[in-house]
Amino acid sequence: MRPRSKSDTARGRRWGFLGLLGVLLGAPGVLPTYIVHIGVFVFIDTLPVIGLGILSGYAGRVSLAQGALFGVGAYTTALLTTRLGWPALAGFVPAVCVAVLLGIVLGAPALRLAGLYFVMATIGIQQIIWIVLMNWGPVTGGSQGIRSIPAVTFGPVVVESPQAFYYLALGAALGSYLLSRRVLASRLGLELRALCDDELAARASAVSVTRAKVVAFALSAAWAGAGGFLYAHYVRYIHPEMFTLEPSILFLTMSIFGGARSLEGMLFATGILESATEYLRPLGEYRMIGYGLLLLLGMMFFPRGILSLFVRQPGTGPAAPAPAADEPAVR
Amino acid sequence: MLWQIVVGGVATGCIYAVVGLGFTLVYRTLRMVNFAQGHVFMAGTFLGLLLATRWQFPAVSLLVAVAVAAYGIGLLLDRWIFRRLYHDHVVFVVGTIGLGIVLQNAVRLFFPEPVPFPKVFGERIVVLGSARFQVSYVWVVALTVLLVALLHALFAYTRVGRAMRAVAADPEIAGTVGVKVPRAIGQTFGLSFAVAAVAGVLIGPLYFVSFDMGDMVGLKAFCAAVLGGINSIPGTIAGGVLLGLLEALAAGYVSSAYKDLVAFALLLLMLAIRPTGLLGYETPVKV
Repeated sequence: MRPRSKSDTARGRRWGFLGLLGVLLGAPGVLPTYIVHIGVFVFIDTLPVIGLGILSGYAGRVSLAQGALFGVGAYTTALLTTRLGWPALAGFVPAVCVAVLLGIVLGAPALRLAGLYFVMATIGIQQIIWIVLMNWGPVTGGSQGIRSIPAVTFGPVVVESPQAFYYLALGAALGSYLLSRRVLASRLGLELRALCDDELAARASAVSVTRAKVVAFALSAAWAGAGGFLYAHYVRYIHPEMFTLEPSILFLTMSIFGGARSLEGMLFATGILESATEYLRPLGEYRMIGYGLLLLLGMMFFPRGILSLFVRQPGTGPAAPAPAADEPAVR
Repeated sequence: MLWQIVVGGVATGCIYAVVGLGFTLVYRTLRMVNFAQGHVFMAGTFLGLLLATRWQFPAVSLLVAVAVAAYGIGLLLDRWIFRRLYHDHVVFVVGTIGLGIVLQNAVRLFFPEPVPFPKVFGERIVVLGSARFQVSYVWVVALTVLLVALLHALFAYTRVGRAMRAVAADPEIAGTVGVKVPRAIGQTFGLSFAVAAVAGVLIGPLYFVSFDMGDMVGLKAFCAAVLGGINSIPGTIAGGVLLGLLEALAAGYVSSAYKDLVAFALLLLMLAIRPTGLLGYETPVKV
């Protein structure tokens, strides 16, 4: 982010951003509860998707374990609040930390793997976490799941209704968007882009490749854990089947579908795909077929992401991961 | 008890191996993983079910018909879909996941509930030592061996097979010496579809069949391929049988709840120690 830029495009973008924010803030007052409810899920999903976007778009490591780490965050806060009686907000930090810790322990040996081999390893991580959640009955409740997770409370205010949670989730999504922009504009972001483009060249120019990859993976796990925290306290009942390979695939798709290396693209795709099962509802039982076709045709015809339809950005997209033209060479 | 477990394990392992071959064929040629492979296996089962119940195909012609049909579908899908996806591995992953969702839900429309598969291989009980099992298990193992022999013959002795191997080794050089690269890639997809569909017909009579049967088998077959070496055909076969055995032993002697963990733990372990698998080899990367 360049806050002091005087150029017209930056100013235009800022007005667009504020305008969109205004619309989003006003939306729950006008729209029916059902739509607000879907909006909450869109914002919650934004977190793991952004985390994954940092990892896949910028570090070049595509992970299919994000759904499990999301689940780890959800289970951590759910267990702390229901079994130990912690207040909901106190579960946030442990949720993030446990997701990061587990992600690092399981994922660190995999990080030296490149390309598809890394994807394969993350499938293993995803399935192992899911199988443990499912079968470790005494701790996780097994296939019973965890019921009556308390709502988030700020002093006397209980964030329970979809409208109230909408603002919490919007705040979290906005916060994670701004935070990740800061991260990506930092030296770490530069290092990640360097190692994604050419790991050998990055190493040769004094980028600590291993450290950068571990940090990127930890960040993506942290975002997943935070998302899981929100999810657990919104739906208030969690079950291992919510954290199978399917959400992992969904998160990956969302982070790719809008155009990799574009946070805005990821947010856009999250909105489109998370609500897809709703606006495809008129298709009836053909709904999931429509959804699969959306993914398939989207990838066939817009491999650089659907945002490439509307915005032309140099060097966005996995097809040609060239550095963006307006990026400074040295910081 | 032990023999019973070994027979069951080897038969399941053969299924993993044959479905895994589909992963290996595509990976060897394109360095891509087709995430719809498990769903192709499932669709093959239902194609077999359709042919066996509606037209009473006997066992051998059923297998041949399904293999040929799947090969043709693979060729067509290559032309219509895969060609537009395999330029980038992330695009290919997401695209084939989408294809898998389409396949699975299309089958779900017609068969929302698990259905029994006709016993096309007969219902005789075979006794081997202390183990008693259906004759279908023998078919699974025998046909896996036959299939591997056929694939070996194809790759070793025919022009088409040599062309496919050339493309797998280096598509650019293969192209310059006159191999039609896109056609060889299409045939590779056709073969990978055919083996998966045959595996689907083989497993059909052993269990009930349902639209979601491809999920777990697909993932396990994938683990088997990585375990044995995802770019090596003998490796994938060995990995599949080994995985089936270990899984059956774990279920019999340790805990059936954690049986599914075996495959994925082995996957992670193998990737950490030797990413190319037991019998795989590393392609040197030049800078």
